[in-house]
Amino acid sequence: MSLEELLESGTVPKKEDISEEELVKLFRKFRGLQKKQERDQAFWAATNENLKIAYEKLDEQERELAKAYGIIQDDLSVASKIQAALLPELSKKMASELDLAVYHKQLAEVGGDYYDFFKTCSGSFAIGVFDISGHGVSAALVMTYLKAQFMTILEALDSPKEIVEWVNNTSYDFLKTVKKYTTVNFVVMNTTALRYVSGGGFGLLLSGKGSTVFEKRDAFLGLRRRPFHEYELPFKKGDLLAMYTDGIVEAQNSSGADYSVQRLNDLIIKNAKKPVQEILDRCLEDYKEFRSKDSDDITLLIARKKV
Amino acid sequence: MAKEKKETELVVFGATIQGFAQACINLNIVAGTKAENLIGEIEVNGWYPFEKLREVERVVIEVYENSGPILERVGMEMMLGWYNYGPGKEIVNNGVGFLHFQTGSQGYASVVKGPEKLVGSFNLEFLDEDSGKARIHSTTPFNKDMERGVIIGGMSAPGDLDYIDVKNGANPQIFDIEFA
Repeated sequence: MSLEELLESGTVPKKEDISEEELVKLFRKFRGLQKKQERDQAFWAATNENLKIAYEKLDEQERELAKAYGIIQDDLSVASKIQAALLPELSKKMASELDLAVYHKQLAEVGGDYYDFFKTCSGSFAIGVFDISGHGVSAALVMTYLKAQFMTILEALDSPKEIVEWVNNTSYDFLKTVKKYTTVNFVVMNTTALRYVSGGGFGLLLSGKGSTVFEKRDAFLGLRRRPFHEYELPFKKGDLLAMYTDGIVEAQNSSGADYSVQRLNDLIIKNAKKPVQEILDRCLEDYKEFRSKDSDDITLLIARKKV
Repeated sequence: MAKEKKETELVVFGATIQGFAQACINLNIVAGTKAENLIGEIEVNGWYPFEKLREVERVVIEVYENSGPILERVGMEMMLGWYNYGPGKEIVNNGVGFLHFQTGSQGYASVVKGPEKLVGSFNLEFLDEDSGKARIHSTTPFNKDMERGVIIGGMSAPGDLDYIDVKNGANPQIFDIEFA
């Protein structure tokens, strides 16, 4: 039998079955395999060593990332508190004229939804609701910028159209630079009426037995240098005003259907006689029942004129 | 970009660089974009500054703490490619034939060109087929671990030898070869 046949048979050969020549060949093959094994071992040892080093580096990078993440979280926590502090409190005077309920929730620690209460130069109350594009720190910083802009101009102007146009004109370049824009829903109210400007903002007014949905066809702040349109509606004692961003109405259920403006407005109208906080709670219950998850910042503000 | 042969500059044949890179990829020594970058725009029939091969080598040397066994394996893999998919089968018939091919640096001369001083040599100094011993003296600019792998791979590829050992421990330029 040849050496190949012997090896193939798988049985231990007898001495007389192997020639000296085959024994030599067997010896060489064995040494050859030993050498191959040595080289393989060296190769895999080097590979394993490299893997170990890679894991150590990965561990180190994970630790650094965790540290950096911790710093960012701390910063975000502070930013969140600062942003919350920048949101308004209702003044006594305003509270004497309006019953107000607000739900405001940012998707992350800080966000792009922003609402504010102002007083114009003539002493009229104003409410602004904004949805700045994107989320996070950049949106929050734009919010502080806009707040400063509105506070500045409200000392000089009274008309919502003029106020919003001024803010848009002065902010346009900046917003372009930082690649941000924002919806605007700005209402100025007096004793018997309200005037509003809306660029992408959602509003509903229930006055007497009628309801009016805000026209919101104007451009967002920071998108175009165009004039805004101002609308005037009666706003008397008992009338109900709702202003909101798209967080609720564009939320989807598990089937992918939108909550919708219609559903929210219908719910507000249906519950219009209830106190504002109850209307708000009812809306939120319905929203939470509907949506599969929160996917945007949410602001919903409901106000009833008391006097 | 392929370069024309220049006597003043050390250049290496594109197929050698590509063979090295392909061996690294075959052995999963590098992967992803690093692997793609290795092959890059190398033309098989082009000539490139020797530094280009050094760049490719560095990818392995920088990644592996102990790069010797890795480069040896890359050299072996390169020669398997050379034998099975390149011109190897037409040039050598058996393992010892690969050693003969190195006589007078003829094998080496086909892949590196330039000033003699820089090119060096890869020369079969001694061969005794009966005792299964040989010696190659290399003064090339190639990595010596890789060169050891090239000798092992070149002799193994035809598949007729049962035993091959190549040592260059004492003097990296002297490869003492045993085979059977």
